[in-house]
Amino acid sequence: MRPFAYAQATSAADAVAVAGRDPSAAFLAGGTELLNLMRDGLAAPGLVVDVNAVPAKGISFGEEVIRIGALARMAEVAREPRVRDRLPVLSQALLAGASAQVRNAASVGGNLMQRTRCWYFRDAAMPCNTRVPGSGCPAIGGENRWHAILGGSDACIKVHPSDLAVALTALDATVVTHDRRIPITEFYRLPGSTPHVETALRPGELIVAVEIPAAGAGFRSGYRKVRDRASFEFALVSVAVSLDLDGGTVRQARIALGGVAPRPWRALAAENAVRGRRLTPDVLRAAGEAAVEGAAPREHNAFKVELVRRTVADVLERVGGGR
Amino acid sequence: MTPPPGRVDGPDKVTGAARYAADQRVPGLTHAVLVQSTIARGRITRIDTAAAEAAPGVLAVCTHENMPRFAHRPTSWLPPHAQSTVPLQEPDIWYGGQHVAVVVADTLERAHEAARLVRVDYDAETPTIGLRENLGRAYTPPDGTPGALQLVRGDPEAGLAAADARIEAEYTTAVNHHNPIEPSATLAVWEGENLTLYESTQSITYTREVVAEMLGVPAERVRVVTPFLGGGFGSKGFVWPHTYIVAAVARQLRRPVRLVLTRAQMSTSCGHRPASVQRLRAGATRDGRLTGLTHHIISHSATRDLIHFNPVASTQAVYTCPGLRVSTQVVEVDMGTTMATRPPSGPANEALEMALDELSWELGMDPVALRLANYAASEPGATNPETRFLRECYELGAERFGWPRSRPEPGSMREGETLVGWGMAGSYHRWHGMRAQAAVEIGTDGRAIVRSGTQDIGTGTYTIMTEIAAEALGMRPASVRPRLGDTRYPPGPTSSGSTTAATVGVAVREAGRAAREKVTALAVADPRSPLYGAAAGEVGAADDRLFLTARPRRGETYRQIMERHGAPVHASGSADLGTPAPSGAGSYGAAFAEVRVSAVTGEVRVSRMVSALDVGRVLNAATARSQAIGGMIWGIGMALTEHTLVDRRLGRIVTANLAGYLVPVEADVPDLDVIFVDRPDPHANALGARGMGEVAGTGTAAAIANAVYHATGHRVRHLPITPDLVLAAGEAAATE
Ligand SMILES: Cc1cc2nc3c(=O)[nH]c(=O)nc-3n(C[C@H](O)[C@H](O)[C@H](O)COP(=O)(O)OP(=O)(O)OC[C@H]3O[C@@H](n4cnc5c(N)ncnc54)[C@H](O)[C@@H]3O)c2cc1C
Repeated sequence: MRPFAYAQATSAADAVAVAGRDPSAAFLAGGTELLNLMRDGLAAPGLVVDVNAVPAKGISFGEEVIRIGALARMAEVAREPRVRDRLPVLSQALLAGASAQVRNAASVGGNLMQRTRCWYFRDAAMPCNTRVPGSGCPAIGGENRWHAILGGSDACIKVHPSDLAVALTALDATVVTHDRRIPITEFYRLPGSTPHVETALRPGELIVAVEIPAAGAGFRSGYRKVRDRASFEFALVSVAVSLDLDGGTVRQARIALGGVAPRPWRALAAENAVRGRRLTPDVLRAAGEAAVEGAAPREHNAFKVELVRRTVADVLERVGGGR
Repeated sequence: MTPPPGRVDGPDKVTGAARYAADQRVPGLTHAVLVQSTIARGRITRIDTAAAEAAPGVLAVCTHENMPRFAHRPTSWLPPHAQSTVPLQEPDIWYGGQHVAVVVADTLERAHEAARLVRVDYDAETPTIGLRENLGRAYTPPDGTPGALQLVRGDPEAGLAAADARIEAEYTTAVNHHNPIEPSATLAVWEGENLTLYESTQSITYTREVVAEMLGVPAERVRVVTPFLGGGFGSKGFVWPHTYIVAAVARQLRRPVRLVLTRAQMSTSCGHRPASVQRLRAGATRDGRLTGLTHHIISHSATRDLIHFNPVASTQAVYTCPGLRVSTQVVEVDMGTTMATRPPSGPANEALEMALDELSWELGMDPVALRLANYAASEPGATNPETRFLRECYELGAERFGWPRSRPEPGSMREGETLVGWGMAGSYHRWHGMRAQAAVEIGTDGRAIVRSGTQDIGTGTYTIMTEIAAEALGMRPASVRPRLGDTRYPPGPTSSGSTTAATVGVAVREAGRAAREKVTALAVADPRSPLYGAAAGEVGAADDRLFLTARPRRGETYRQIMERHGAPVHASGSADLGTPAPSGAGSYGAAFAEVRVSAVTGEVRVSRMVSALDVGRVLNAATARSQAIGGMIWGIGMALTEHTLVDRRLGRIVTANLAGYLVPVEADVPDLDVIFVDRPDPHANALGARGMGEVAGTGTAAAIANAVYHATGHRVRHLPITPDLVLAAGEAAATE
């Protein structure tokens, strides 16, 4: 680990000002990600700005929006009764992530900013276009069981690991920083030829909250995560669904996929396939099919295509009340 | 026996008072970090250590260019050396993760940072990686290759031809890593010509032997201390190069040096279980008697250390079959040396037990009945006798599990999206006895200290030796203090092959009995003793007291006798269980599993598991159960989650941490039910106890795999059975 300076900030403005002094500065929230990255030689900030004293905590339920502070802990949000009750997809996604210990320490802002678990990215000794632009992507043609089937490029096929971000995509959330608002669908960048650019955040920009339209709290929603072991593991495939139902007919649907793309993947074609329809077996199948439109599987991850089809149909059916 | 209340080392471990190798406090300590090769085959063309040497706090940077030559060089794989390649002596690279430099600094963080600054240029060659990708290179290794076996009994082809029902299938198993919770650690402290090595090792004796040999010093000058171990599972069974590298660097620096392997380095520095491809054919008569069985297994091996570390044991030992062939091949790959992995014969056993399950369906026969139809009371052809209670395992296990008289059709038990299935399999592990010595000292306070130069890998050796000594002495367990893990004690065995408790126990008992006899002799010869004049044979011992067996109230305590005597009493004991036992020294069992498989996602969860085991006499119910459930959890890992993935082009392990290599977590493990037959095997040793650590780690994975078939109706013949394979098996069946 390289030597670094440490500072504590007590307000958002303070945090941004302090971080502005060093272009390599990093904010520290729960530290469950940043410290690992530093230990593994994947991040080397010259300045660590501890933002835990910034008043960006708690959850408020307004008329228009539900606002979750960037420093709220995953566990705290997940067990908030109104979240469990009105935003089940959010609570379920949070509880499906990490372990109880990590969730107690990890913040919402830090969760959104976690880096890919691609094992080539996570090993400083390997080439990786995200880490070292131009060094190559060994996942393409290598061990890619874990990797993207959607949204990848020939420079990068990483997968975004956050469960929370998938749920927030299905809830049409907005990321609020100290000086602007970014819809979650515009927050993450696809790799294209610049895989090292991962989010819309500017250096030194602080996330202070995420906001969810309060209307979404009336919708039915749910999350399902498929993984190699029962707990404490990232998704092979996950599906978040939020449905605005009119009787048995879908008025609006938001469907987001995790584990399949470099960002939480909004499955627009699947949403279109169910909008205005009843969730009959044919419609469910069509939605699953639409969800993998354009999928480009690699040697070891073709199974994800079928897994997405099945899981999308399953979650839609459950949330839609079929089961 | 009165078991001591819980583990004798439990309070120290729970409170943190237990000091493992890396926890020792040594003044002037320095910290070593290894730099490892990022290529899998080739040569170092240039190694630039200038930046590392200039980094703050750095005391030494050693590479093949400046590292002192070691006094010895193994020419082939020869235990207790874990590998023959000696790093830091030449520019050649034989496997990914080979040590290419060691950096020592005043703090661990500085050592890590400096290690990052070492620049290595390579002339890389394309490595050969992967077993299945290189099956064309499989060959039969020369006779004597460790773990390889070419065996023919009767006429297997004729047997297969004559069979009423036959199966033929190929099974594959993944590369596995040991991943003990405590990473390997070495702390070397020189005082003049004398070295004390605090080491995380399964054998202090081997460590001393190898370090002395490599450094060219007499073994008496090397003391190895291992008070506690956080597991090893084979990864610390023999001696890997990092240990003698640290000892050599500490000698050169004249400072104590500590090295703890990182979790990632654990995947390349202390062995792994090789992958396997296994082809089995089995044929039987209509009533289930095997007529022919062939088991061909191919595993990868490091080129320089030719070993077949997926030994076949159960195929030739457990069942009767007139026509049998076992054959072994290897594929050489550019990976580090393979190593025994708890239990080494697991993959071969699981494939056999999956094949027998397939045969049972082919025959339309209950799988327990199939195994009973081929029951062997002892190992066919073995010369030494044994007493098996395997039949009891089938019966007890089936009863506890509620094994059905006839199994519902595969794929027929469904609850919502969940498919339920039941499977069973046989467990077998060939253990081997060893040699051990133990010493008992009874102090003037009447308390005993029992010593043996073995180590407690975490299985409960401290507890078991306390219990055995207490019984032999007639003392309360609280009056016995166990001492282990120091080469100054009488030499004890390695903690591997499920041998420690059974071997050390025999020596401890002998030492305890001898000590008690000596104290008895003191008492009966002492006119001040109430036992004065009694014959030794009339004196009994219990609860810290010696007394006349016929008149138990007449007697006195150890303490009274020893206080009068005024000097400690010493006695020793030894065990020689043959190294290793020739054959027929097995522990047995039957595993039963219930799984729940999602018909939507292919995810498999184990919902119930029973393991019925015959390990001879159970020495301590609590530690034995712990061993058994540990083995069963290993079985769940092998069956469902654990696989090491290696990048074929880079030769680099991509799952080199516990986020990539998935061991089962709490949520993967249901309540585990363990039953012991618990009958002494008079042929095993004086205690009637056999090796028991590893047997429960066999059979469980096959039971789970067989249950997955029963649940889904589709056979997955690869371990681990990940969701993608379950879905693929279903799709393959659908398109047939
Ligand atoms: C073993 C393990 C398993 C895990 N499993 C899962 C899982 O299954 N699903 C899942 O979703 N996640 C999982 N995680 C990831 C975990 O959720 C994240 O580590 C955690 O949410 C990060 O939050 P933190 O507060 O600890 O972030 P930190 O480590 O403090 O920060 C992480 C990054 O975010 C930046 N950052 C933090 N706060 C802000 C802010 N307010 N504004 C701008 N930037 C900020 C930091 O500079 C840093 O770059 C797992 C993590 C671990 C260690």
